[in-house]
Amino acid sequence: MYIQDLHCISPQQTQTEPFFSEPLRHYTGNKYIALEPDYAPLIPAGLLRRTGKAVKMGLGAALPLLKKYPDLDGIVIATSAGGIEDSMKFLTQIVDYEEGTLTPTHFVQSTPNSLAGMLAILSKNTGYNTTHSNKSLSFEAALQDALLLFQEGACSSLLVGNTEQFSQHNYNIESLESTYKTEPVDSDKLLKSGTSGTVCGEGAAMFVVSKNPAEALAQISDVGQISSPGQEELHACMVSFLASNQLVPDDIDTLVLGFNGDQRYDFWYSDLISTLFPSQSVISFKNLVGEYPTASAFAVWLSTMLLSGQKCPAEALYKKGMQPPKNLLIYNHSKGIQHGFILLRKAV
Amino acid sequence: MKILQPNKPKSRVCVTGMGILSALGKTQDENLQSLRNGNSGIASTKHLLSKYTRTHVFAEVDASNEELLNAAGLAGQAGLTRTDLLALLAFREAVKDAGLYPEQISSAGTALLSASTVGGMCLTQELYADSHLQGTGSPYLSSYACGAHTLELAKRYQMRGYTDTINTACSSSANAIMLGARLIRAGKIKRAIVGGSDSLSLFTINGFNSLQILSDKPCKPFDEHRKGLTLGEGAAYLVLEAEEECKNKKIYAVVSGYGNSNDAFHPSSLSEEATGVVAAINGALATSDLDPGQISFINAHGTATLNNDVTELRGILKTFGRIPPYASTKSYTGHTLAAAGAIEAVYSILCIRHNEMYASLYCDTPMKEFDSAPVSAYTRHAGIDKVMSNSFGFAGNCSSLIFEKA
Repeated sequence: MYIQDLHCISPQQTQTEPFFSEPLRHYTGNKYIALEPDYAPLIPAGLLRRTGKAVKMGLGAALPLLKKYPDLDGIVIATSAGGIEDSMKFLTQIVDYEEGTLTPTHFVQSTPNSLAGMLAILSKNTGYNTTHSNKSLSFEAALQDALLLFQEGACSSLLVGNTEQFSQHNYNIESLESTYKTEPVDSDKLLKSGTSGTVCGEGAAMFVVSKNPAEALAQISDVGQISSPGQEELHACMVSFLASNQLVPDDIDTLVLGFNGDQRYDFWYSDLISTLFPSQSVISFKNLVGEYPTASAFAVWLSTMLLSGQKCPAEALYKKGMQPPKNLLIYNHSKGIQHGFILLRKAV
Repeated sequence: MKILQPNKPKSRVCVTGMGILSALGKTQDENLQSLRNGNSGIASTKHLLSKYTRTHVFAEVDASNEELLNAAGLAGQAGLTRTDLLALLAFREAVKDAGLYPEQISSAGTALLSASTVGGMCLTQELYADSHLQGTGSPYLSSYACGAHTLELAKRYQMRGYTDTINTACSSSANAIMLGARLIRAGKIKRAIVGGSDSLSLFTINGFNSLQILSDKPCKPFDEHRKGLTLGEGAAYLVLEAEEECKNKKIYAVVSGYGNSNDAFHPSSLSEEATGVVAAINGALATSDLDPGQISFINAHGTATLNNDVTELRGILKTFGRIPPYASTKSYTGHTLAAAGAIEAVYSILCIRHNEMYASLYCDTPMKEFDSAPVSAYTRHAGIDKVMSNSFGFAGNCSSLIFEKA
């Protein structure tokens, strides 16, 4: 399937072109917060007041595309936490008011599919509609679903995207799990920090994908995943994933990797480079936008930029290779458990 | 309106194993006996702690968390939520029923597609404490997300292949079944274990109550005087296998049709025109290549809310021309939310396997708008070979599945 258009809300200036004309935003500390647009022209005022940040960012990224492409055949969304703040507000009310009389707004908005539903309502789209909520493999699952719809001949164009918001509640829970750094680290030193823990990000990236290659920005060729592998098993899985796309590792010129500065887990990426991809260009992205379960959607946005001719910002260039990007592989994992790969190619 | 009309299937998708826990029982057989005897599982609760247990009835799985842990052979293990435990037990029955070896379950060609809306949010107090940084952290820190139970299943069974958790609210596990079947048909995988799990929780009880659609008495699907839904809990998994993997295996049924549409009308109710219902039903008929007249029975979504039941029958009438025999098992299990699509897939397949229909309970006064009432008695030799099962969720997510005799 081919990416025809895209829109991205992230902790970087990714909403209006040119994207990388000025230096990237630097962050210190653990919270990389998205630069949100003025939603007022996009979202009706009454709705805007009631809407939580995850849905708002999703609407903010998707509605400009749905206005431009009103006849899409369906909507496929990935979000791990969905309307987490609404969930927590409702749960807090249940506890604080001891199951007293509550208003349903937060309950209705808490469900992860509320964004996909709201997009369907606002664009009157009665086509295929689903939400994947599989922690760090949510976006990969959404892409698999979309690829399958094209393979089945069931559609000619779709909206595919993610939303994930920073939530203090989730941040607290994950802090108790030692997910985040305990010392302040600058984003330009994050990947070389050598300490445990990472930083928390957020964002929404939306893609109009089509079966039609004409004027496409990039092609999403395939997506793969494996759970809880050993390293050798992961490498074998990746080689066979490439082989099923008639590629060998040497055919890949650019790797986009989910390095997040957590020394407990970043070896998965560095070992992959040294074992299978020693000479390729390597791009990082979590030092730009932080770690979150659907961060691979931002990786696809960044990869599409590179494949469509944008220059890579220096902060994202982890290691410079010899070839310009043409066959690009995104690899991301979460704590060594969920591993996903996405194969993108330059559109011809 | 767009209707999905995928290309003709390459491989039939066979159901070779089923596992289920609900208020009707903790095995497939116990569920079957309760359905045949017309014994509803809706009653006063024994295990749930909520203010509403004094005034409302629910459909509870009759086991404490301790008993579920013991049944799963996991006594003393920390960090498992009720949603996880229901999932683990239903999954275990399904893979045993299908005769799968551990190597088959963990092979790259086997996918796991599951669903939950509540996830670990059933642990109200623990989640409250952890998210407010009260204390040093409960054993459930990684168990709250709706995808957490899927990771737990994958970990326990060392699954390597495709995993997914779908959340389309009350149609979640219907969509898990649909995507599992599509992945097999496309030749991406050989086998998928599909289903869902949800436990009773203060979150959903208070949520549906705040919407004023939680009934205090047992729900009355398709009754003129219905007052709302009864919440239930449970889990169910089905083993789906490509036909060429099923030599010498029992095949319960095939998954032949599926349709998915968004009603695009309102976040928590369906449109008067039943737009999404009609599109989902038409999509399922189109993929299975069946005419409405060939469907012998409809397992209705039938939640007993004012909005759902009238919209569902309107949608059926629009697509079928006349309303075929139908029933709602929500009158037995309550609404089990993300598990409902899978639980009712099991019941639909039991109808086919035993050629029978189970009585829809508590419909005393059929709805005035329709000249039709749900199946009112257990009916044997009912000529059931093709069953449609409907699932509709918040945010407009409508799905319809068709199961056929193999």
